[in-house]
Amino acid sequence: MRIVAWLLVAAGLVVTGIGVAAALGQAGSGAQPWGNELSDNFVFIKALPFVLGFGIAVGLVMASTYGAKTRSDGAVRRWSPGTVFGHWVLTLGFVLALPTGMWQYLGGILDVNLPIPLYLFYRVHYIGASIVLFAVAAFVSYLWMTGDRSLLIRRGEWSRHLLGLAFELPPSLRGPYAKLLRIDLSQPRPPMGKFTFYEKVVELPSWSILLALITVTGLIKAGRYLIPVPGFVLWLASTLHVATMVAIVIKLLDHLRYTFTRWSLMGAITTTWMKERAPAVRQGAGERGSSAAGIAGGGDT
Amino acid sequence: MRRFVALLGLVWSLANLGVAYFFLTGAFVAKTAAKEGILAQLSLLLGGVLIAGFAVLLARECVRMLTSAKASETM
Repeated sequence: MRIVAWLLVAAGLVVTGIGVAAALGQAGSGAQPWGNELSDNFVFIKALPFVLGFGIAVGLVMASTYGAKTRSDGAVRRWSPGTVFGHWVLTLGFVLALPTGMWQYLGGILDVNLPIPLYLFYRVHYIGASIVLFAVAAFVSYLWMTGDRSLLIRRGEWSRHLLGLAFELPPSLRGPYAKLLRIDLSQPRPPMGKFTFYEKVVELPSWSILLALITVTGLIKAGRYLIPVPGFVLWLASTLHVATMVAIVIKLLDHLRYTFTRWSLMGAITTTWMKERAPAVRQGAGERGSSAAGIAGGGDT
Repeated sequence: MRRFVALLGLVWSLANLGVAYFFLTGAFVAKTAAKEGILAQLSLLLGGVLIAGFAVLLARECVRMLTSAKASETM
């Protein structure tokens, strides 16, 4: 299976290279009446099927790295090498797409032009978006192949997870949160698994929704010169794309704040391994709760 | 390594505070009101406040990481 996956990756790389080169060749031939921005838009949208296909093939290789492992010193593998790879690819995509997207928006609001031509911002944004879409396709393929659902909350488990999350929140937020969701805090604190309640209740759902929104709205915006898109749909997609970008900026700040406090999570997303079975909160971080030892989950994610 | 990551985080949060500043000031200029309307102004205001709030939380965490790294070095 692994050899087949690698062969598919090699074939995907070649086909993607040919596809992108053909799109670039057409745009750069001088035969098209496109400006720089429109030209880049066409290259992006034409390269996209190849990028997505390549992402699916890479997801197959990522899936071949899946499996629970324990080291002799007791450390557990929290993330598979495939997940770690996909996470960093996604990070790279965001590093390119987020600031350039933000400038496109803010430049319009402030009515400011930099000495750098705007089409270069779009170009970097398209490259970042391609990397994000590649990573999304790879993760979908990876999750499909492995069947891993360890970060998902099963039906009937939500009340336990919402209670667990209450104990992970700072004391100042715990009361209002419990009151809002009618959670009885006198119940015993539920045991945590390999993942914190915050990761399962807040991190995965919010990132999944934001990634889906930014992907779908971005595709509608980018594809409008190839496929006719009704004006209202385009306006809605553009508005949602900007709103999602802002939400991603906010979520990213929260994600960094959360993981920096639990340094073992940073180690795990770099090395795949974590010594503790559950991430410990750094002393004095102002939050309590995650230091309770949990039971190790099944496979890595 | 922690100190390097904390510094990067600090730079990121400061950059986001800059973004929040432009959001907040953009929400109150007449040009935005004329071009985009009240909904865009409210969105800029809300987005700016949230970005600034979360940026401050991250910056505080990064400063804690830096100071705790210094403290552990001096011990």
